[in-house]
Amino acid sequence: MLYAQILNAVMLGCTYSLVAIGFSLFFGVLDTVVFCAGDVAIFSSFSVVFLVQLIGFYNIFFGLFNPVAALLLTVIVAAIFTAILMVLLYQLVIKPFENKSSLMPLLSTIAAGIALRELIGIFFPEGRNPRSFPELLSNERILQELPGISWRNAIIIVATILIVAILYWFINKTKIGLSIQAVSQNREAATMVGINRNLVIYVTFIVGGLILGFGGFLIGSYYAVIRFDLGAGFGLKGFSAAVVGGLGNVYGAIVGSMLIAFAEVFVTAYIPGGTAYASIAAFVLVLAFILFKPEGVLGNKSVEKV
Amino acid sequence: MTENKIYTHKIEKLLPSLGVVVFFAALAVAITGSLWSTLIILIGMTGLLIYGEKHGQVDRAYIRVEERRSSTLTVLIICIVLLPFILKGNSYFLHIAVMAGIYAIVALGLNFQIGSMGQVNFAPAAMFGVGAYTSAMVTVRLGASPWIGLIAAMIVTAGMGIVFGFPALKTRGFYFSLVTIALQTIFILLVVNTEWLGGPNGIPGIPAFSLFGQSLKKSGMLLGTPIPYQMNYIYLTFTLLLLLIVISKRLYSSRIGLAWNAIEEDEIVASTQGINLTKVKLLSFSIGSVFAGIAGSLYAHYTSFIGVEDFDFNKSLIFICMVLLGGMDNPIGVTIGAIMLTVIDEKLRIFADYRMLMYSIILIVVLVVRSQGLLPKRNRKYPLGEEN
Repeated sequence: MLYAQILNAVMLGCTYSLVAIGFSLFFGVLDTVVFCAGDVAIFSSFSVVFLVQLIGFYNIFFGLFNPVAALLLTVIVAAIFTAILMVLLYQLVIKPFENKSSLMPLLSTIAAGIALRELIGIFFPEGRNPRSFPELLSNERILQELPGISWRNAIIIVATILIVAILYWFINKTKIGLSIQAVSQNREAATMVGINRNLVIYVTFIVGGLILGFGGFLIGSYYAVIRFDLGAGFGLKGFSAAVVGGLGNVYGAIVGSMLIAFAEVFVTAYIPGGTAYASIAAFVLVLAFILFKPEGVLGNKSVEKV
Repeated sequence: MTENKIYTHKIEKLLPSLGVVVFFAALAVAITGSLWSTLIILIGMTGLLIYGEKHGQVDRAYIRVEERRSSTLTVLIICIVLLPFILKGNSYFLHIAVMAGIYAIVALGLNFQIGSMGQVNFAPAAMFGVGAYTSAMVTVRLGASPWIGLIAAMIVTAGMGIVFGFPALKTRGFYFSLVTIALQTIFILLVVNTEWLGGPNGIPGIPAFSLFGQSLKKSGMLLGTPIPYQMNYIYLTFTLLLLLIVISKRLYSSRIGLAWNAIEEDEIVASTQGINLTKVKLLSFSIGSVFAGIAGSLYAHYTSFIGVEDFDFNKSLIFICMVLLGGMDNPIGVTIGAIMLTVIDEKLRIFADYRMLMYSIILIVVLVVRSQGLLPKRNRKYPLGEEN
């Protein structure tokens, strides 16, 4: 029982953490919250459905290559769609507010998230109905002795770890990754030492878009049924996780996601009638963090200078 | 030449009253007309406002209104009294007008937080809901009079406003917005999961207001023609709306309004100027919530049924849209924004699927093109030399 719950929580935490990482990346570079990240991730899930079910992309390449390559290709194409969408969103709803009050991009990205959600609902064939997500990852158990660990679950956990590892390498070992860190630490100083801030922003949005793209695929695989308005909840949980972990800190986002996921799963499992109160528990946790420890678990305590 | 000048001067004096009449005529045509005439009128009004703003006519209009306040107010009241008749006594058209009035009250309350203090509160719909549910519970479960319900709604929302405003004391910006989003979501989840509050089924059979022993939900006869009951609610709603606009305007030019603006500019500087941040911030939330509570109570006793979907996050966003479109920190602008959006929303009912898409696009376009809103904040004009 306990073992199964922990596994559940870890799986849920994995799906939240990629969205939360997106929030943290964008916040680090821009100092604004890009609220449509959840909807962008769900856009990626729908891209996968589009590629696999509607135009048979996966089947076309299934014949040419082996299934793993066809699957990877499908997911990468969907992630590229998502990255392009993210850059477009930056141009349309974030860039116009660069030097204005930081609350304006918050409002505009919330509106953009709703627009995206509604566009999926309107233009995707039968978009308002729940869609079954193609079962690309096998649901079979890896080992008969180990209950709960199916190929799907294992791949989701391993893929999350892999994405985080690649992100770690990218941010700490490449020049552009270091520039991203420089810009998030001090915008003016970074520009002064010759970092092209615009380039950094675009790269961040492309990387963030790719991560959200993979995240969307994992979310779809985990839930098996997706809805056009799932993004609202994911956006909220992802942002909450980023805040709990420490906004702007990528590793904090993972810690925050796990905390929220554990809170939800354990309230559902151990409190009678808890299913209804799982989300409430998660939000109460967020409220407590914002009120009493606003810098989050891993964030730096910022002191405002006057 | 001189005669001509006197003539134009006379016209100028009449302008405010004329403006009010034109506004109500446009509103009536927008409500009763077809979709296209509504859109043309709304676009025309938007264009007129932006043009007038650019060339200083709006400022002059404000001065004229100040000069002839009583006559303008009289014309306004006459227009409101005549409104049900201009709307041809059609119950659906009257319903649109009532809803516009109710939403305008919520938007006015929200304006204290977003417009005056620059804190984006994402939970106005929750507060609207608290008002509606309080009023409904008091009347349905306890059998009290709807007027008691209204007062109870005001008291409870004032308290809840302090609860919702408490996080604003410790946080700002995104964090505060996240808190309000979380509170909004918690409110919906709590109502859906509480059987006592009607759960997902809502609360049916909420009694209507009654005045002098007469239920406001009774259609009457006037000069031989039947008058739908919505007319009573138009008078009730617009009387309250007028009262609350006056209160908002007075708050805006009072010390409290100034203090809110000071907090918006810089919290630390504001506190060094001797503004009691705790008191002033909580006041903004409390007063704003009472407005929402009044609107919620009106709504509950008007529709006689409330369900949780009337108070969800999308509704909050629509209220924010109203404040932004109309003009931050300008009560008249906020009211106009709320009325415009309600009318468009009702007119586009056939395209219900595109509703939220429309709101989100309006929000983005307003933010990009005209972030100050249609009728932006006005400079305060204090009479010189009176204070000293």
